[in-house]
Amino acid sequence: MSLRRILVIAGGLLIFFLGMYSWNQTTRTLDDLSTDIGLETAGAVLGPVRAAQDVLGGLWSRYVDLVAVREENEALKAQVAELETRLLANSEDLAELRRLRILLQVPVDNNWRPLGARVLCGQIGPNAVLDTITINRGYATGGRPGTPLLTNKGLIGRVLRASAHSASVLLMTDPGSRIAIYTQDSRAMGILHGNGAKSSLTVDFVPRDAGVRRGELLVTSGLDGFYPKGLPAARVISVEPSNYSEFLAITAEPLVDLQHLEEVLLFEKTGQAPEVEENTASPSQFVGPPKPGRNPRK
Amino acid sequence: MRGIGNVCFWLAFTAVGLVCEMLIPRIDALICGFVLLLQECNYRTLAWLLPLFVLLQEGLGTRTFGGSIVWYAVMFLFFRIGERFFNSGTFVFVFFLSAAFGAASYGLNVLMAPLQDLDVNVEQLIDSSLAQAIFLPLSWCVTKYLRLCLPAGSQPNPVKAESLHKPNV
Repeated sequence: MSLRRILVIAGGLLIFFLGMYSWNQTTRTLDDLSTDIGLETAGAVLGPVRAAQDVLGGLWSRYVDLVAVREENEALKAQVAELETRLLANSEDLAELRRLRILLQVPVDNNWRPLGARVLCGQIGPNAVLDTITINRGYATGGRPGTPLLTNKGLIGRVLRASAHSASVLLMTDPGSRIAIYTQDSRAMGILHGNGAKSSLTVDFVPRDAGVRRGELLVTSGLDGFYPKGLPAARVISVEPSNYSEFLAITAEPLVDLQHLEEVLLFEKTGQAPEVEENTASPSQFVGPPKPGRNPRK
Repeated sequence: MRGIGNVCFWLAFTAVGLVCEMLIPRIDALICGFVLLLQECNYRTLAWLLPLFVLLQEGLGTRTFGGSIVWYAVMFLFFRIGERFFNSGTFVFVFFLSAAFGAASYGLNVLMAPLQDLDVNVEQLIDSSLAQAIFLPLSWCVTKYLRLCLPAGSQPNPVKAESLHKPNV
């Protein structure tokens, strides 16, 4: 084959590839097709593998690691007793909170439905350039793109791409992740963004006079439309005035160990308007002005 | 019957490859099969397996569609250039091929990142390129051994068989 022919073929292939790449950038057809096939196949293969790992791990913890179980049991009993005491102490506050919410007509944010999911793997394949994990829920089972994920300790990230039964999740440590937050105590708003898997997070656009302290909790503000309001996301590890802008330079760390995730919770949007409980029973004592229309003089 | 065995072998290979990719992040464990099929000149299997590999890698990854096509095209190019100088069926050939491909994977990632406006994590990229370069010869040895041992193993292509008698440089 002559050099000229090779160059012509190579040029033709390059033009074809760039054409396909541009067409896919606008239509996303090939991305959707490959996501469906790739993630579904990976879920079908890795699901049983992960289940087998769990079975083996369970056998180990049940039969081999029995020595520590008794001590752990004692510790757990003590913890349960302590938690019961705390629950009893908090039940009065909780009841009061419910009453106040009804009185103030503050909608309880119950338009998010929690769903459990299992982590199948971390970054997989040579094209995994973003900081992601793969979970065993897809758009048919509650893991639509944009769905937020968390554990009992705090926020993890949100679903980036999904097939029917598997999905890729963009972790909050990825440099492309942006989360609208506010600080829990000082109520200063900002944008939390990642800097890579093993780097700390950064909070942008917090004014210098915000009074943010080290160790303060950062919770989602819900203003970005992706995350429900009030989810704990990260903890402040350093605060100092920025040398380059009129804002504070704040670094934070995730509350969750993102390198060792096993089970996660998805918050699926139900699409329903938040329901407000109607309190039909009259309050035992006077706590506010009466509702309109209930005044006997009218 | 032999055809079914061949299909089953490659499907099992794909499944095991995915598990390997789960255990070692950011490597392509399936490319070993691509090299093996090129060595066997088994283009019929390659015709259905290569699109599957491309779709799998693209679907699992987070880049816009297209990176895997360039990825496999570069490997094909290196293979064709390499077989001019070495006997393509030997470990030495695969060793040099994987070394060159490890270096190329770094370049490919740097090349593809600006198309999607992504930052390049150099440290992570070097790690994955090295892992890719080490993984390919090892996986090639194991897969080739299994191909020869199992009933669905390869029969050298008659045209290719002549090339096996070429002196190893």
